[in-house]
Amino acid sequence: MARWGMIIDLDKCVGCQACSVACKSENNVPHGSPHEWKRHQDLYWHKVIAASEGVFPTVNTQIIPMPCMHCEHPPCVNVCPAKATYRRGDGVVMQNFRRCIGCRYCIIACPYGSRNFNFKDQERQEYSRPDLPPDLDLGYASHIGPWPYPRRTRGVVEKCTYCFHRIDQAVEKGQKVGGDGVVPACVEACPTNARFFGDLDDPESEVSRLLATRNSMKLREEMSTDPKTIYLPR
Amino acid sequence: MQLNFTPLAGTSRNYRVLVAVLAALVVAGVTAYMVSYLAGFRLWGINNSVSWGQLITVDIFFIGLSAGSLVVSSLVYVFGQERYKPIGRMAVFMGLLLMIGAMVCVLTDLGRPEKMWRLFMYGYLSNMKSMFAVNGIFYAGYIGLLLAYLAAALANSKLTKIIAPVAVLWAVLVHMGTGAIFGFIETRGIMYSPLKPVEFISAAFVSGLALVMLLSYVTLKLGRRPFNKEMYVSLGRMLIVLILVLVVLVVTDKLTHFYPPARESVLFLTQGPWSWIFWGMQVTMGYVIPLIILCHPRWGRTVKGIMAACLICVIGIFGERMGIIFPGLSQPLQYYPGEIEGVWGLRGGFPIMPAETLMTVGIFCLLSLIYVLGLKYLQLLPAAASEEAVGGGTEAVAGHKALATEGGVT
Repeated sequence: MARWGMIIDLDKCVGCQACSVACKSENNVPHGSPHEWKRHQDLYWHKVIAASEGVFPTVNTQIIPMPCMHCEHPPCVNVCPAKATYRRGDGVVMQNFRRCIGCRYCIIACPYGSRNFNFKDQERQEYSRPDLPPDLDLGYASHIGPWPYPRRTRGVVEKCTYCFHRIDQAVEKGQKVGGDGVVPACVEACPTNARFFGDLDDPESEVSRLLATRNSMKLREEMSTDPKTIYLPR
Repeated sequence: MQLNFTPLAGTSRNYRVLVAVLAALVVAGVTAYMVSYLAGFRLWGINNSVSWGQLITVDIFFIGLSAGSLVVSSLVYVFGQERYKPIGRMAVFMGLLLMIGAMVCVLTDLGRPEKMWRLFMYGYLSNMKSMFAVNGIFYAGYIGLLLAYLAAALANSKLTKIIAPVAVLWAVLVHMGTGAIFGFIETRGIMYSPLKPVEFISAAFVSGLALVMLLSYVTLKLGRRPFNKEMYVSLGRMLIVLILVLVVLVVTDKLTHFYPPARESVLFLTQGPWSWIFWGMQVTMGYVIPLIILCHPRWGRTVKGIMAACLICVIGIFGERMGIIFPGLSQPLQYYPGEIEGVWGLRGGFPIMPAETLMTVGIFCLLSLIYVLGLKYLQLLPAAASEEAVGGGTEAVAGHKALATEGGVT
């Protein structure tokens, strides 16, 4: 089975936030409001942070897009009491809203802040994608229903899924994943082609080639979570 | 030692007003919960940074008090210290009550409380690697044991001697498990510590003993029951030892994490924006003032001084619980070396929101209500020394004599 991973080239990233916007529209993540933003109660499956060192004029600002890291050893999976978050066979860390009891322990355990609690029901019922009923796992017998929901539900924790609905559908149809094939929405939207998606276990894939030829780093390696979202430094 | 236990008459005006006020506040809390459940938790102060708020703080505070109360009751029912017998039943009752309060807190804090049964599916649908799910075993067993313990203590059963040690050891387990929920999370530097479970149980002993002393004194005083000053003085001596043990544990923990290089979290706790919780509440009110009062040659011998120390100490230990949740969660995560700009690098804020506060108040009032009603319907209080002494009391009624004869004789 494939082991999906994402590579983000920080040298190419211009910090335009197209990935964050694409993620919001692809996954129907609520836009939030200035009030919610101020209260830190809005949802972000993908965020772009800026870390700066030094003071003007000798300052260096590093822009880092942060989806979920999809760790090989995810702390959130360890702490979830209800088995609502789990690591699929292909390495994608998933969140099952129907199992989630909303205890928010995973938010506390996640070192990357990539988990968000849904504080309210979505006002508008604008989202409908009946063409994409993804499976719980590849080869899993029964569907969990339309994705993500006809309507979002409050009181559960949400997170990035590497757009698993796209990937799973491509795998089912036998399409190519990664490179010029099917990729997550953020990868597709990147105007500078700074992001790459593919199978880390496949030595022929674009991501494996990049990892073999370029310097790479992972965020917060001291936590030994072994993320599958890997960065190519500037 | 012959000791009668009788319930309160509970017919005075003050008693009725107290029950009515508490009930009204409980209704307010329930309403606040229903509204916030329907509208989503955006009505609370919690957010994606500080994702546990008032209710979890109160929850761990209550679990601690519960474990501490049980340890006080073990003085009577395990170690057979007859002089503490007057407060033994109250201690067991409070243990049960506070644990129920803690469960109310943790279950209403869930975003999807209707799915709480998943916590109790022990391995089948729950993940037993999670300390939260492991604690599901502890909590459920604890409430069962406490019910049996209280029933045995009220019936003066011989079984008390068997149930009491099990219940007390289980209480220690419960609270250490609760500490492990926090202590195992490496992401949050202020919480992450192997000492956390031990620190939790130590703080539980302190706060539980202080609360039992305080509440039993207030109850005996208001109920016009006899109380033994020497008992409180000796319990005060015990409190000194327990506070000192806690101070040693906290100092060890913080000093270890203060030692370079990875010291940001302790600096954030002791010098950051939440340092008033640590220095003002935890250290000053939890340790320093109670120790000064209790060790003082004169104040430490008077009931008033001891009770003041107990009250300040309980508030201080509440501060210790706050010092785990709020600084622990609002410390910004260091995703990348350097200063994280903008909203992602800000420390989390925690506004005090009306709905959540009303719920907290409601839960406190719920426990007070059950406690006050328990005094009336269960035989928890030692009987008055003589009927004449009670005759003038506001709580005295004609039926008192009849109730006194029903009271358990030990």
